[in-house]
Amino acid sequence: MESFALLFDGFSLATQPANLVYAAIGVIIGTAVGVLPGIGPALTVALLLPVTFKLDPGGSIIMFAGIYYGGMYGGSTTAILLNTPGESASVVTALEGNRMARSGRGGPALATAAIGSFVAALIATIALAFLAPLLVKIAVKFAPWDYFGLMLIAFVTVSATFGSSPLRGLTSLAFGLWLGLMGIDQLTGQARLTFGVPELLDGIEVTTLAVGLFAIGEALVVASRHLYKPEKPIPIKGSIWMSMEDWARSWKPWLRGTAIGFPIGALPAGGAEIPTFLSYNIERKLSRKSEEFGSGAIEGVAGPEAANNASAAGTLVPLLTLGLPTSATAAVMLAGFQQYNIQPGPLLFAQHADLVWGLVASLFIANVMLLVLNLPLIGLWVRLLAIPLPWLYAGILVFASMGTIAANPSVVELLLLTGFGVVGFLMRRYDYPIAPAVVGLILGPLADNALRRSLQMSLGDPMVFLQHPSSAIMTGIASIALVAPFIFKGLSRFQQDED
Amino acid sequence: MRNFFRHGLMAAIIGSSLAAGAISVSAQGLELTITAPAGAGGGWDAASRSLQEVMMATGAAKSVQVVNVPGAGGTVGLAQFVGSAKSSPDQLLVAGITLVGASISNKSPVDLTQVTPLARLTGDPLVIVVPKDSPIQTIDELLKTIKSDVAKAIWVGGSAGGADHILAALVTQAAGEDPSKINYVAYSGGGEALAAMLGGQATAGISGYGEWQGQIESGDLRALAISYPEPIEGIEAKPLKAQGLDIELVNWRGVFAGPGVEGADLEALKASIEKTVTSDRWKELLKARGWTDYYAPSDEFKTFVASETDRVQGILKSIGLAD
Amino acid sequence: MSGKTLHTPNRPAAVVAVILFAIAFITYWDASAMTVRASYGMGANATSYFVAVLFVALGVGHLVSAFKPFDLEAEASDWKAIGWIGLALASLIGSIWLGGGFIVGSTLLFAFTARAFGRRALLADICIGAVLAILIFLLFNKLLTLALPQGPLERLF
Repeated sequence: MESFALLFDGFSLATQPANLVYAAIGVIIGTAVGVLPGIGPALTVALLLPVTFKLDPGGSIIMFAGIYYGGMYGGSTTAILLNTPGESASVVTALEGNRMARSGRGGPALATAAIGSFVAALIATIALAFLAPLLVKIAVKFAPWDYFGLMLIAFVTVSATFGSSPLRGLTSLAFGLWLGLMGIDQLTGQARLTFGVPELLDGIEVTTLAVGLFAIGEALVVASRHLYKPEKPIPIKGSIWMSMEDWARSWKPWLRGTAIGFPIGALPAGGAEIPTFLSYNIERKLSRKSEEFGSGAIEGVAGPEAANNASAAGTLVPLLTLGLPTSATAAVMLAGFQQYNIQPGPLLFAQHADLVWGLVASLFIANVMLLVLNLPLIGLWVRLLAIPLPWLYAGILVFASMGTIAANPSVVELLLLTGFGVVGFLMRRYDYPIAPAVVGLILGPLADNALRRSLQMSLGDPMVFLQHPSSAIMTGIASIALVAPFIFKGLSRFQQDED
Repeated sequence: MRNFFRHGLMAAIIGSSLAAGAISVSAQGLELTITAPAGAGGGWDAASRSLQEVMMATGAAKSVQVVNVPGAGGTVGLAQFVGSAKSSPDQLLVAGITLVGASISNKSPVDLTQVTPLARLTGDPLVIVVPKDSPIQTIDELLKTIKSDVAKAIWVGGSAGGADHILAALVTQAAGEDPSKINYVAYSGGGEALAAMLGGQATAGISGYGEWQGQIESGDLRALAISYPEPIEGIEAKPLKAQGLDIELVNWRGVFAGPGVEGADLEALKASIEKTVTSDRWKELLKARGWTDYYAPSDEFKTFVASETDRVQGILKSIGLAD
Repeated sequence: MSGKTLHTPNRPAAVVAVILFAIAFITYWDASAMTVRASYGMGANATSYFVAVLFVALGVGHLVSAFKPFDLEAEASDWKAIGWIGLALASLIGSIWLGGGFIVGSTLLFAFTARAFGRRALLADICIGAVLAILIFLLFNKLLTLALPQGPLERLF
C-alpha cells in the first residue's frame, strides 16, 4: 500500500528529535492557554498561530497539531472542573462532568475525557488518513434538505438535556432560538431583532452565550448561596484514577462517540456540537445506570468528549480535501496553511503528500504526547478546586471576560455577556435547564438556513424533503423519535410534572 | 494557580525567543494602528497583517499594530474608525468593495466616502463556474439557460448583497432578465458554497478565484469566465469583457486614513504607503498570497471609491436590497 | 427541589409568562416591519413568526402552570453578594467604556468578586488582581499580539 509507505515517511519526519520537542511545546502551551476558563480551542489556536510562523513548515505544522489537540483538551478541563465551557462543543461535557467534579470525582472525569479523546482522535486520524478522499465525495452530496433532516434529528435529541420539566426545557430552547434570530439573515440580508444596534448585526456569538450562562451565571449562583449554604467543591473523594467500573462504563461510549463524531464532523456543515448532543442522548438511553444522568454519569462525559474529538479530526476531511474550513478552529488552521503558500484542496494530497502525511503523523504524535503529559497533570488540575472560592471565582470572571474581549473588543459584547450571566442566574434559581438555550442558538440558525435554502432551490415546494431518499429517511426518524414517546408517556409526564 | 502560571511563563519564554528577529528598526518614526474591520482569518485581516509586516520590514513605519473590529460586513469597524480616527495622523483602515455594499444594505450612517482614501492595493477576480457534469460549456450557454427560466437557474455564492451576489445580478441583467427575479442562494462564504457546487445542487456559482482555484485546476469545476477586465496570467478562464459582456467587477481592497486628515499628515501617510507597495517584498507577498496587484494612488482611488459606491448602490437597488 | 408545597399562585411562573408574551410581541412586531422579501421560498420573517408563535404557546403553558400547586422552594439568596458581582462587572465595563483600559477593569473585577464571596481584605485583593491582570496583559498583548483594550496604564508597557 502506497499510503502506508507515505505514512511511514510522515512518521520519520515527525519523530525527529527537534520535531518531537516542537510537538511537546505545542501540547504544553496549547493546554496551558486552552485551560483558561472562557478561552476555547479556536481562540487558543488563533492566539498561538503566530508563534508557529517562525518555524519551518514541517516543524510549524507539528507544533500546530500539538496546540490544536492541547487546546481541545484544555477546554474540556475547565468545563468539567469549573462548569465553564470555553466553547459550545464542551457544553455537553460540562453537564455530567461538573456533577462528577462536585462530588469529588473530578479525577476520573478528566481521565475518561483524556483517554476518550485519545481513543477517538486515534481512530479518527486513521480514518482521516485512509477514508478522506472517499468520505468527501459523500459529504458534498449532502444537500440543504439533508441538513434539515439532520437538524430535525438533533432537535428531537435535545430533549435529553431538558431535565425535570419539558415546559421549562422548551422555554430554555426557545430562548436560544430567539437569540439565533438576531442579526443579518444569511439568505436575504434582512436584519432581524437588531433594534438598530450595529453590533447585533452579526448575531449572538455562541461562546458569549455559553460563557455568560455557564461561567458568569455559575459565579452569581454560588455567590448568592455562599452565605446560606456554603458549597465547597470537594477536590478529591476516593481514587483520582479511574476504577475498573469506570473503565467498563467508558469504553463503549468512547467508541460510539467516535462513530458518531467523525462522519458528522466530516460534513461540510456538520460541526462539533451536534455529535456531542447525539452521543449524550444515546448514552443516556443505553446506560444501565441512566438514573445517574443529571447527577454525574461517567458515560455522559466519555461519549460526548470522544464525539467532540472525533469530529475535530473529521473537520480536517473537508479542510484538507476541499480547502473548506467548517469550524472556527479549522478556519484558523487554513490561515496557517496559507502562510506557507499551501492551499488545501483536491490537489493537496497529490502536490504536498509529504506535508499531509507529516501532519497526520504529527497528529498521532501530538495525541500520544497529550495523553502522556496530561494524565499526570490531572492531579494538578483537580487541585484548582482547592483555591479559595473568592479567588477561584474572581479568577474565572477575569479570564471569562478577557476571552470575550479578546474575541471582540466591544462594550456591547461585554454587556451581552453580563446580561446572559444574569439570565443564567435566574434560570438556575427557578430550575430552568441551561444547556438547551445554547443548543437552540447553535441549531436554530442552521435549521433556519437549511430549511429556507431547500425551499429556495425547490422554488417553494415543501415536497423537496420527501423526494430525496436521504432526507426523507432522516425526517422520518425524527418524526418517529418525536411522536412515539409523546404518545406513550409524554402527555402524562407533562401533567405529572406540573402537579 | 502557581503551577498554572509556570506554564504560562514557559509559553512566554518560548514565544519571545521565537518572536525575536522578526522586527527591524526603521529610520522613520510613524507608529501606526491599522483597523481591520473583520475578525481574524478573513481577507481584510490578512491584508492588514501583510501591510503591517511589509511596512515594518521596509522601514515605511516604525511600529504597526493591527486591531480587529469585526461586525456587520465591516460597518461596525468603519463607524468606530470614523469616530476615533478623525484628523488622526497615525490610524489606517483596510477595507474593500464588500464594505461598500454592507454600508448600503445595512443602512449604515457611515460609508467609505467619509474617510480619506490613501491607496488601492489589491483586486482579485471573481470567477463564474458550473459543475463539471453540467451541460453548460460557455458563458453564452449560461445566459441562454438563464433566459429560458430565470427561477430555475440557481446561483450559489457568498453572503447576500456581497460582491458574488452583485456579479450574479449583473450577469442575469446581461441575459435580459430582471435581476430582482434572480434565484441566488447565499452561503456564508465561498467554502460552503463550494460544497453545494460539487454536490451539483446549483446551476452556477460565483466566488473569488483563489478560493476555488484548486477545484478548477483539478477539473471538478468548470470556469466559464472571470470578472477582471483583462486576462490574468496563470488563469485560463477569459474575462467577461473578452467574451462580449460589458461587465467588470473586481474584489478590491484598499487602505484609508481617517476623515479630515490633510496637509503634512496626509503626505506622510501617502509616502509611507507608497514606499510599502513599491517594495519588492510587497510584490513577493502578493504573489505568495495569490493576490492581484491593483494599485492606484490616492487621488485616483478617491474617484474610484465614489464611482463604485454609486454603482453598487444601483445594483443593490435592482435586486431589492437597498432603497 | 424540596417537597414544600405552597397554595398560592406561582408568581415566578406568571412573571415568566408575561416575559414570554412580551418577547413574542417584540418578535412579531420586528418580523412585520421587515422589508426584504425572498423571491423564492420563505422569507426571513417566516422563522420570526414561527418563534413568536412558539413563545405564545410557552407563555400559555406557564400561565396554566402558574395556577397549579407547585413544589419549587423559593431559595434564600444573598442579594448583597449578587450586588458586589454586579458592581464588579460594571467596573470592568465602565473601565473599558471610559478608556480606563483592561488592567484597571480586571483588577476591580477581581477584587469586587472576591468581596462578594466574603473576603474582607479589599486592598490585598486589589493587589492580587492587579498582578494577575498585568500578567495576562503582558502575556496576551505583548507576546501573542492580542489587542486588549488600552488605557493609560497599558500604554506604560
